[in-house]
Amino acid sequence: MHAHLFIPCLVEDCQPEAAEAVVEVLESLGVEARHPAGQTCCGQLAYKTGDAKNARLLALRYLEIFAAPGPVVCPSGSCVKMVRTYPELFAPGTPDHQRAVDLAARTFEFCEFVAGLPGADTLNAQLQVRACYHGSCQMPPGQSGGVDAPRRLLSSVRGLTLLEADRDDRCCGFGGIFSLQFSAVSQALVEDKCREIMVLEPEILVSAEPSCLMNISGHLARLGKGIPALHVAQVLAASLKKETPAWRRK
Amino acid sequence: MMMELTTRHFRQQSASACRDSNLRAVLDHATRYFMGKRGAALEAFAGRDEHFARARSARLNALSRLPDLLEELERNATAAGVKVHWAADAAEARAIITGIAKAANVRVIVKGKSMVTEEIELNPALEAAGADVWETDLGEFIVQLAGEPPSHIIAPAIHKSRAEVAELFAEKLNLHGQSIPELTLLAREALREKFLCADMGITGANMAVAETGSVILVENEGNIRMSTTCPPVHVALMSLEKVAATMQDAADILRVLPRSATGQKMSSYVSVLTGPRKEGETDGAREMHLVILDNGRSEVLADPVLREALACFRCGACLNSCPVYQTIGGHAYGSVYSGPIGTLLSSLLLPQDLTRDLPFGCTLCGACARTCPLGINHPKLMLALRQRVANGRANPVSSAHSLLARHPLAYRLAVGVARTLDPNLHLLPRLPGMPGLSEFVDSRRPPELKKPFAARRRKTKREQKQ
Repeated sequence: MHAHLFIPCLVEDCQPEAAEAVVEVLESLGVEARHPAGQTCCGQLAYKTGDAKNARLLALRYLEIFAAPGPVVCPSGSCVKMVRTYPELFAPGTPDHQRAVDLAARTFEFCEFVAGLPGADTLNAQLQVRACYHGSCQMPPGQSGGVDAPRRLLSSVRGLTLLEADRDDRCCGFGGIFSLQFSAVSQALVEDKCREIMVLEPEILVSAEPSCLMNISGHLARLGKGIPALHVAQVLAASLKKETPAWRRK
Repeated sequence: MMMELTTRHFRQQSASACRDSNLRAVLDHATRYFMGKRGAALEAFAGRDEHFARARSARLNALSRLPDLLEELERNATAAGVKVHWAADAAEARAIITGIAKAANVRVIVKGKSMVTEEIELNPALEAAGADVWETDLGEFIVQLAGEPPSHIIAPAIHKSRAEVAELFAEKLNLHGQSIPELTLLAREALREKFLCADMGITGANMAVAETGSVILVENEGNIRMSTTCPPVHVALMSLEKVAATMQDAADILRVLPRSATGQKMSSYVSVLTGPRKEGETDGAREMHLVILDNGRSEVLADPVLREALACFRCGACLNSCPVYQTIGGHAYGSVYSGPIGTLLSSLLLPQDLTRDLPFGCTLCGACARTCPLGINHPKLMLALRQRVANGRANPVSSAHSLLARHPLAYRLAVGVARTLDPNLHLLPRLPGMPGLSEFVDSRRPPELKKPFAARRRKTKREQKQ
């Protein structure tokens, strides 16, 4: 089995370790990871500023990049949400709309994809750590209202203490362009979030949404309370290995 | 109390609201209280999803047949003795209601809480016509005394602490109390006199039922029922989307509305008014008017995506669940309706030059949509409004980014240059055309530009081959 990697811009250049971890976890489950060239931005920024024209142009690029059949896997809930919105950008009945519907149906958030793989329940994962999980509001919901994929995966790691803050699914205040246009409100929200996380005294912060990780860990760093901020894939990859993970050696 | 529309200053107002720690504490307490009550009620609500679906279908059904249902409502209400009036906009509605007041020589008016009377700025018009107007809902009474507009759809004084209310009563009414029961009793005594001498009662309408011509009013304090039964004249003002086709539809809606609003199975009072007092009856107004207000809604109804906003029955749950509302409260929005649904309604009903910023004051987290019992997809509508505001003109930041993103070589080159010159993005706040970046960077360390994943992967593959 193979999967195409859809690596968000933020991960490609600011959190490449998360993408490497995605590859490691997929390969450990027997999935060959392919990384189609030419990836830049899926169009989320344009779409969320109301710029449907540019969102459509960027969507067309991604329809090309991921034209080959097979599942597309992405370590970001919000980018997956964008691809699942692609069909809205094209007139129903057109070939582009059909391609958008097809791509949306085979694009998966990393945790969602991994949790659905046959070997996911029997992963021999072990990691002694107190991890605070931030359940991003951008993540796909759990199936029929059940526990969602990232929580299921993290719970399966032996030794991992899964901590969830008060109002764990509350927005961290990032919201892309919102954080610039409404910077005071955004800051107030990230302050709330960090306060609620820090009372748990976690060793690491974990999320499956890179933009939330950037926002929350950026504020924790400014408070002088920085802790490793990791994608779920990084935690899983570390828990599958014997050696001490890089973020712990520092 | 009416407000000056300050929606165009939403951004600045939201920033000042954030700095008001007192307001933040009061809002935090109140919104958690509402969400807690609501959560408990919904937990115990057997067949919840099915009931939600029935309420949604009752609302959508009404929207899809609105013109016919409104005509049916007019026929049946008229047959029951109600005088039905049509108001195309706020000015017409004000003229109709002040006209009714003048014709009946009205001096004292008691009002039940009604957002739509706020929308049309009714009170100043009535006062200018010489009437003495009293808000009789406790929260609304408080904000009227304070000279403020309401800051929440169902809890107008949610932004006020008990201590602030005690101070206000002492200052404005020379009434002194401290505890909530004491303060409530003081307000009750002050208002009781007004009910007894009022010449006219004005209320909104949670619903009107087309098949019977009835107006339905939902409340907890009994003040709305008194406003409709004590004075000889009752005027109900209804925005036109609030019609329900049948009593069954109304019942489906009533099963959900109080649970979602206040966590009650049913409100303490539900009044179903079908016409004025009839011969032999001992109470009820002798004259009943129903004013049906459009004020921009017909146009919204014509939009296949945005019309969903009109399904709202104003339970207010989306406000309580919204992290932005929880942080800034209702006044910062600068218009009558606040929070997620308020952002949608104000954007749709007010001139666009006032409301450009509203749909951007949202993180698109979707807490509202997950809370809404009617399944309104606020974030989706928010995005549609952003497109409408942008009107084909891209935000300069997004535009530059999109241009680069369409050309992967140029994009890689730009990121590569940035990584070489400024890997920790110290220069980020100096980027032109991006206001807000310096504030962002003040409170968050910017991310570091690292060796990209694609390059790392190429290296790993080379090593594996060797």
